[in-house]
Amino acid sequence: MKYSAMLLLAAMGLLTVQAQASSTEQVPERPDKQAPLPSFPKMPDQAYLTLRPLSAIPDGAFGDKVRLGYQLFVNTQQLRDKYVGNELNCANCHMDAGRKANASPLWGAYFAYPAYRKKDDKVSSFEERIQGCFNYSMNGKAPASGSPELVAISAYAYWLGMGGLMDEAKISGPVPELSDAELVKGAKREDFPLPEILAKAMTVEQRANLPGRGYPEIPKPELAYSPERGKEVYVAHCQTCHGIEGQGQAIAGVYALPPLWGPKSYNWGAGMHRVNTAAFFIYENMPFGKSMQLTNQQAWDVAAYINSHERPQDPRSKGDVKQAQEKYHNDSDYYGLSVDGKVLGTESYPVFPKKS
Amino acid sequence: MKITTLVISLTLVSGYAAASDAPVQPTGVMPPSAQLCVSCHGAQGEGIEPLGPRLAGLSSEYISTQLHHFQQGIRQNATMMPMAMTLQGDGIEQVASYFSAQQVKTPVTPVIRGKQVTFADDTARLAYQGDWSRGLPACVTCHGPSALGGGLFPRLAGQQASYIKTQLLAWQDGTRKGDVDGMMANVANKLTAAEVDALATYFANLK
Repeated sequence: MKYSAMLLLAAMGLLTVQAQASSTEQVPERPDKQAPLPSFPKMPDQAYLTLRPLSAIPDGAFGDKVRLGYQLFVNTQQLRDKYVGNELNCANCHMDAGRKANASPLWGAYFAYPAYRKKDDKVSSFEERIQGCFNYSMNGKAPASGSPELVAISAYAYWLGMGGLMDEAKISGPVPELSDAELVKGAKREDFPLPEILAKAMTVEQRANLPGRGYPEIPKPELAYSPERGKEVYVAHCQTCHGIEGQGQAIAGVYALPPLWGPKSYNWGAGMHRVNTAAFFIYENMPFGKSMQLTNQQAWDVAAYINSHERPQDPRSKGDVKQAQEKYHNDSDYYGLSVDGKVLGTESYPVFPKKS
Repeated sequence: MKITTLVISLTLVSGYAAASDAPVQPTGVMPPSAQLCVSCHGAQGEGIEPLGPRLAGLSSEYISTQLHHFQQGIRQNATMMPMAMTLQGDGIEQVASYFSAQQVKTPVTPVIRGKQVTFADDTARLAYQGDWSRGLPACVTCHGPSALGGGLFPRLAGQQASYIKTQLLAWQDGTRKGDVDGMMANVANKLTAAEVDALATYFANLK
């Protein structure tokens, strides 16, 4: 019954898009370029883009940018104190170095930007979206537009997606090189340079909604999500890796197992601080390696538990939690709400602290 | 021979148990409860292949958890199950504290994930990037850079190849358990026999 309903929705793609658009409109203004991405339910037996192996990255200056993008994505801590202010790496939430479908893959995002945002009447480029990651998910300070880091991450994202699409369309040969200025814009535009066969094979909109993009949406929980129940889930399934205080675990100075809350994790402006985003991520991608499947309810509850702890401040806050809450929150999140007698946001940790 | 060792050790342990109110020594002097381990694991926990794996370089948390698992039969091994049973009172804590404080003699320089993009060696690639087409995460995600280990995740770097192989096979056949949600069994079960061999050799020889 549920499956058939999902399939019906999938077939009526337009309807789904409209439904998403109307729910997005209710979201308060977010001048952070981090508006919730549209999420779609996972389809059974869905095929995803097959990516080229990293060994296929070409030699030369363009290939070097792609390789640097991979390196920055996996070991983002090399930018600690320069652009990064916590202990996370991009690859913590984007599994398989941004390659894995349904783990917000880079290739899916690359073809979804620039994205027009009605509220701002502004189009955000791919690099602006990545800047958002640095400011919020990485609790840091974004590299400037056109910087080598943003070019490299854009090049890596482009190379992954383009190689996959070319193989799917049976176009052989290396991924066409693009200028830095083209790379950072993203591929969701009519003037994006594409091999002709590819340009004819799919519309811009189709490429912007590649299956496996984002984290798959899961149904609303049967019971309202609860941090109390979530704590039990956390202790049983998450704590061994992420620690009793959500502090993660460092080995040789590297937090291979990332901190989930507290001063070393993502801040109150990051997409992952929303209970729905975290629940979608967790249901699909955790426990790491998927030795078991959490229930829908468990995913929502544990997401609520994780995100009802204090973390670095929302960089958009002007010091008034209530004001920031009204302007940017009240959206499937705990910022400004009272938990265990304390209003979250009032004792937040610093934004972009130096490692010292 | 084994029975004799066991009897001697039991005597030692029970003798010690009487004075077990003494605080656990953090490092240095070997507690009497650890003397039984020496014949197979070495005085500094350096390991004696093929009798016993290296204990130096493992965390106290890991060693004590494993000893509890041997006691409870969660981890099955004909030698270690009765050995672990000899540790009563704070014996486990003492043994874990002593061996975890021992230094690994051959240091390994950690290689951070992301440094290397492509790997000529399939086994190194598996260790550093996994094979997600089979749902296999990279080993170093949990075991750390160069699999140096920490907390409940054991160090693999420089461990005996024969031991790593035996353990991967034990995860596969279910004689080793105790991992949360079957995380390690899930990974081990996806490895081919050739990969088990190759990974064991790879980690044993990390420099």
